[in-house]
Amino acid sequence: MRSDIKPKVREEQMSAIQHKLFGLAIAAGVIGLVMQAPAAAQTTEVGTPRAETLIVDQLGGTVTSPFKANPYASITNMGQGGNQMAFSPLWEIHTPTGEMFPFLAAEMPKALNDDFTEFEIKLRAGITWSDGESFNADDVVFTAQMLLDNEDIPIRGVVVDNLESMTKVDDLTVRVKTTKPLPRFEKVFGSVIWGPSFRVVPEHVFRDEDVMAFDFYPPVTTAPYVVVDGDPNGNWKLWKKRDDWADSDLAVLNNGREPAPNYILWRFYGPEEKRVLAMAQNDLDVLMDISPDGWDVLRNANPNTEVWFPGFPWANMDDPCERGIHFNTRVAPYDQWQVRWALALATNIVDVSINTFNGMLRVSPLNAPPIQVLMETYHQPMADWLGDFALPDGYKPFDPDVALRIAEWLRADGAEGLPETDEELRALFGVGWWKQDTEKAAELLESVGFSRDDDGKWLLPDGTPWTLFINAPADFEVLSQRLAFAVANVWRAFGVNVEVQQLQGGPFWTNYNTGDYQAGSYWWPNSCAVAPDLFHGLETWHERYVKDVGVSTGNNRERYSTPEISALIDQIVALPSDDPQIVPLWTEVLQELVVGMPVIDMVGTSKFVPVNTTYWKNFPSSENYYEGPWWWWTTFKVIVGEIEPSGS
Amino acid sequence: MGTLRFILVRLLNFVLVVWVGVTVVFVLMRLIPTDPIEALIGSMTSQGTIMSEAALDEMRRVLSDAFGLHGSIWEQYGRYLYRNFVSFDFGPSFSSFPTPVSELIGRAVPWTIGLLITSTVIGWVVGNVIGLLAGVYPNRRLSKAVEFVAIFVYPLPYYVLALGLSIVLSYTFRVFPLSAVVIGEPWTLQFVWNVIYNSTLPALSIVIGLMGWWVISVKALSSGVQEEEFVRFARLRGVAEHRVLTQYILRNTLLPQVTVLAIQIGLIFSGSILTEILFQYPGLGTLIFSAVVQGDYNLMMGVIQISIIAVAGAIFLVDLTYPFIDPRIRYR
Repeated sequence: MRSDIKPKVREEQMSAIQHKLFGLAIAAGVIGLVMQAPAAAQTTEVGTPRAETLIVDQLGGTVTSPFKANPYASITNMGQGGNQMAFSPLWEIHTPTGEMFPFLAAEMPKALNDDFTEFEIKLRAGITWSDGESFNADDVVFTAQMLLDNEDIPIRGVVVDNLESMTKVDDLTVRVKTTKPLPRFEKVFGSVIWGPSFRVVPEHVFRDEDVMAFDFYPPVTTAPYVVVDGDPNGNWKLWKKRDDWADSDLAVLNNGREPAPNYILWRFYGPEEKRVLAMAQNDLDVLMDISPDGWDVLRNANPNTEVWFPGFPWANMDDPCERGIHFNTRVAPYDQWQVRWALALATNIVDVSINTFNGMLRVSPLNAPPIQVLMETYHQPMADWLGDFALPDGYKPFDPDVALRIAEWLRADGAEGLPETDEELRALFGVGWWKQDTEKAAELLESVGFSRDDDGKWLLPDGTPWTLFINAPADFEVLSQRLAFAVANVWRAFGVNVEVQQLQGGPFWTNYNTGDYQAGSYWWPNSCAVAPDLFHGLETWHERYVKDVGVSTGNNRERYSTPEISALIDQIVALPSDDPQIVPLWTEVLQELVVGMPVIDMVGTSKFVPVNTTYWKNFPSSENYYEGPWWWWTTFKVIVGEIEPSGS
Repeated sequence: MGTLRFILVRLLNFVLVVWVGVTVVFVLMRLIPTDPIEALIGSMTSQGTIMSEAALDEMRRVLSDAFGLHGSIWEQYGRYLYRNFVSFDFGPSFSSFPTPVSELIGRAVPWTIGLLITSTVIGWVVGNVIGLLAGVYPNRRLSKAVEFVAIFVYPLPYYVLALGLSIVLSYTFRVFPLSAVVIGEPWTLQFVWNVIYNSTLPALSIVIGLMGWWVISVKALSSGVQEEEFVRFARLRGVAEHRVLTQYILRNTLLPQVTVLAIQIGLIFSGSILTEILFQYPGLGTLIFSAVVQGDYNLMMGVIQISIIAVAGAIFLVDLTYPFIDPRIRYR
């Protein structure tokens, strides 16, 4: 018996020892992994001091060619600082006012003749490139000439189209001749929305390179930061403050003030759920464009996070593009204004707003986005005209009380902190929109031959069932995506058979460009504007941009214009942006667009761009509106120059 | 001669499958309602660029030449076959122009292979062993528990499982990173450790996701096999239990499992899209997702073609190795 027991005991002892060793190995592994995990936020994942690093979400996701920074040779994703940091514009937009100011230039361009075909540009003194060379007129002239001379550069259209020549007068002065009158020179060659088409490159770096084969990585820049490290897989990129930051464009602009972050890390964590988790655990300071649901989760998880407003409606409402349903006006039955107006009058805009973004939207009856500056320039001044506007039969479609009804619904839903007066509510939720009047909508449809079947479904004039297809973005531009479904619901209730086609970027844009669509939840370019001069966006309503279906266009993809609109735009393009006639003329264009209704403009865009105040403060907000929260624009640098350490 | 003929027939099958596959891919890509140039222009202009029609036409001309979209469909097909079978050049990526597709795929393949082969094989081995034991000893409490867990895990949507693991192990306990962030010079110790550290959570999610199926399927197969007469006869003859388990039950259970494993490994080349997107893992799944989103059909064709060759190649190899696993095929 003993001999039987002993081996068993030995086996049990061995087994126990093995178990212990196995357990220790696992524990060691787990501890090792834990130690590899972000070390209690002392340092970032890439080893920089956390409190000195601003971590910014990458809008647009993973960058597939992260080590290419030449803005002209490749179709580069600029979301890792390329647009925000590497290339500054000559003139930049101040988004709160819509006014432009000189950035690399020292002053606004000076017209040298009355027909706006010759200009003088003065450059800022004292700026150096990150390799120590001076930034001067040679760089600007070289960039222009490089674009004029190289037919293989895909992104040179703006220069070729507008520039006849550019010559150096002295180190800080450039003289320009244009191919046509260009009273908005600073808008064409500067940055109005997102970034400029003309990006100055360093002459001393590019002059001996084949521009189409040159990666320009790491980029030599006039910004206060330079690229020091990056992920070959495109999920992060690290920028470090230059030792000679005082010679950078931002420091010169800010009279020698030093930007606070020593490092800027662009980082992509994946789908929205992951990005929200990352900010919740303080691994992100700026988070791009999330949904209201994501914000709900985030503000409960991390009390140091903020968005534009400190309470309802939370989101920033000043994005320069408004959303609505765009029609291909060359395709029947959408070529008839009665049909487009019938669909507008079949819309319950309160329901649409609630079902799209929980009511956190500002409605817009005009083809100018309802951002603060344009509310003051167009929406509020045009409120009386909207109230008096009548369809040809005298019917007045405007409803000025939409904002009040949205507020009523929100209060019933438990929203707190809403403004009390009607005036304040209209400033927040919009001056009004079109009535939902299904009887009038039916009358309009019947006037052009539509009829209903026994189930109340609408039939086309030829008696066949009417099916309306709305193109919507799939998995991007969440507001437009949701809007399409919200609109489809109300139009279905009116008896129209509506199909929403969710499309990825490729087919979504191809169909829009080639006119292979009926209607779409689109927004660019002719529902966008950022300044009282609506030129940058609405100029495309001119008839010169209208093409036949099947012929590709990148501008007027609604294929709509009228002689009246074209004549007004002809007058506008001959005037500079600050001419007193600009606003009255654009007001007339907006009125013409209401009459024709090629786009049912519905809501301004609300952007949830949360920031984290654990490590940084003085972010722009509704109470500190020195700049819009457009972190993916070139205005990024302006914000970086203002933020301060929060002391954590 | 018999062996040579066997190999030649299967080789011919392999070539035919690949040719039909790549041709179907070529045709399908042309049927997608996406013009890569229009998609690119739309995407660029939606970010704020406004160009005149003349400037846009100029851009279309330059990009059409650069993308190789000129010529008739037959000329494009001829260039496509030449590129894919002779020069092994898939052309430039449209969305990352002018980076060659082969460079993007070459960069992504090691990541996908490393992650998916490791996790698929681990999932297969562990799942099969557990399933086998559970099938042979169905009445033990542990077997029942294993079956319960497998049945619970198997129907879980992968996204939910992976996100749940992320929340527990990256957010609540911060053991693993939320998404891959690889640092260090390639093939240094820091780099290798970093890759392992960053791959553990995605791999774990795949292993757990796959194991449910392996356990359930092997348990069912082994329960059936052990009721076969040759197993009963072996036990009656007094063959040792571990031999019955490994030589009689396991070998007969494995045959269909090997086939499925081979197909799974072949499919690896199209990447595990959800895993890679959720964990920002830089493999083929992320690449093909971005290609689809951006209408980059050179890139799509490149990744799908690699996948076709891999699946056809894996099946070809399984065909060749079957006779070694199953003597009945050898005798036929």
